[in-house]
Amino acid sequence: MTTKHRLITDSFKVVKKARRGGREKPTPPPPQKEAETELVKEEQLHRLREFDLDWRFGPCTGITRLQRWERAKLHGLNPPEEIRDLLLQKHTDLDCKPSLWSEYPL
Amino acid sequence: MFSDLSSQKEGSSLLSRPASDDPGPVFERTQPAYSPCSDRYRVGERSFSRQYAHIYAARLMQMRPLLSGRAQQKWGSNVLIRKLCDLQTGEQCCVVGTLFKRMDLQPSILKEISEEHNLLPQPERARYISETDELILEDELQRIKLEGKIDRDKCVTGSIVAIYGIERNDGKFTVEDFCVADLPLQTARPTLSSDRFVLLASGLGLGSTNADSMLGLQLLVDMVTGQLGDQGEQSGASTISRVLLAGNLLSQNTQDKDASTKAKYLTKKTQAGSVEAIRLLDEMLLQLVASVPVDVMPGQYDPTNYTLPQQPLHRCMFPLSSVYPTLQLVSNPYQANIDGVRFLGTSGQNVSDIQRYSSMDRHLEILEETLRLRHLAPTAPDTLGCFPFYQNDPFILEECPHVYFSGSAPTFESKLIKGADGQDVLLVTVPEFSSTQTACLVNLRTLECEPISFSAFSADEDEENEMNISH
Repeated sequence: MTTKHRLITDSFKVVKKARRGGREKPTPPPPQKEAETELVKEEQLHRLREFDLDWRFGPCTGITRLQRWERAKLHGLNPPEEIRDLLLQKHTDLDCKPSLWSEYPL
Repeated sequence: MFSDLSSQKEGSSLLSRPASDDPGPVFERTQPAYSPCSDRYRVGERSFSRQYAHIYAARLMQMRPLLSGRAQQKWGSNVLIRKLCDLQTGEQCCVVGTLFKRMDLQPSILKEISEEHNLLPQPERARYISETDELILEDELQRIKLEGKIDRDKCVTGSIVAIYGIERNDGKFTVEDFCVADLPLQTARPTLSSDRFVLLASGLGLGSTNADSMLGLQLLVDMVTGQLGDQGEQSGASTISRVLLAGNLLSQNTQDKDASTKAKYLTKKTQAGSVEAIRLLDEMLLQLVASVPVDVMPGQYDPTNYTLPQQPLHRCMFPLSSVYPTLQLVSNPYQANIDGVRFLGTSGQNVSDIQRYSSMDRHLEILEETLRLRHLAPTAPDTLGCFPFYQNDPFILEECPHVYFSGSAPTFESKLIKGADGQDVLLVTVPEFSSTQTACLVNLRTLECEPISFSAFSADEDEENEMNISH
């Protein structure tokens, strides 16, 4: 009875590891040229996170940064204009839209 | 109102011989200028993914400047207004924040889950206040327990107040005085040349097992459409320029729980109780809208969304009456200008919820309190269902209404109050029609209000043998 000693992985291949390896491959290493723009981006993201952490503008889960900025403006709390400019110029960039806490489960 | 008119004309009373071929005079109904302003209670996008923290934050952001102003008016312009995080022990100052009442008896889903611990399920109560309740004030960052001169049982969670007092060594704040936002400013009401009335009715309770109310309801419809009484009363009825139905058009009985508990194959062929009731409502509305503009607000038991602001009932439920342009299906907090008189009101969920969570008993008292707090429904979203708004809180009153009403009240009550800045507000609790057979008429010229009762053959009111359609 050879069939008894077969493992389940013989008929169903372990695919998890293979996939993980496959996913890492296509991300290309950042080229040297973009290092500078990367720094600027990091700096801007840092400013956006600072905005997220400012308690005066109210809670930030569940709404986008721009919605939060607009609410603060509506109620006369004078949120910094540069944040809005940043958000508007990068409105296509996905990491800038939701706030810092958006990835945390509620 | 109408009995005066009928007594004037002796010759034309109903008891006289009918006129030969005379079709009788025609009474033109007065058409008031009407503009709805309920846009703020319409919900466009319906995203329920947000938390309720936003609505409290927006409420505090919106109300803080108002309350700081009130505090300076009350305790002098150099009063020290502190945030809770800057509070110094032993310093007399003023703090603006949201009240939270910690209540032991408040029903909680977590307590219900803890039935595993062999706890008895909480009995349903009419009122959830107890001696152990604690009042806490919260601002954006912190909270502090309150004691002293603030009536714990009267306050409800979610109201924004300014308190004045001292923080003690034990970390509690001793309140010496407190103030609320009070009435907002009011636009002046135009002077009208003649009496015009708006009829308010609530809680028609269609589809209930008790058919008693149907006669009263039909009498009400006949009275408004001018099919009742003699010419004097008919001319009186023509001064009713608008009818406002403030919620609970269907009875609670139409919400049978069977459909959700029984197996699907057992209830497949049974019709929901609300179907027949809506058909009745459609027929009743048809009689009304053919003659007078009608505003229909949904209420707690009506087939629309449960959370405030309740959206208008859908037109497709009224195939007969919705062809008339006089039928206005409106949202639940409802706001409109009728002949320059601003009406604002709800179907009564906000008031009955506060009644459950405070010591206030009369609906009229609660209604006045919400006006003074400048907030329609302070207990939403804590104990009252509410849409998770994030940008602003639409229940804050920005302009003072002239008529402020709430529906589904146990009895009719009304009161004219005067504000500090010359506001005149008529408060009306519109009684439940199915149990009281009473509607009310608001005079747009004088802002007076009177009940109009149709309790003819009601079983529980034996003392009234005669049909009473006067005051």
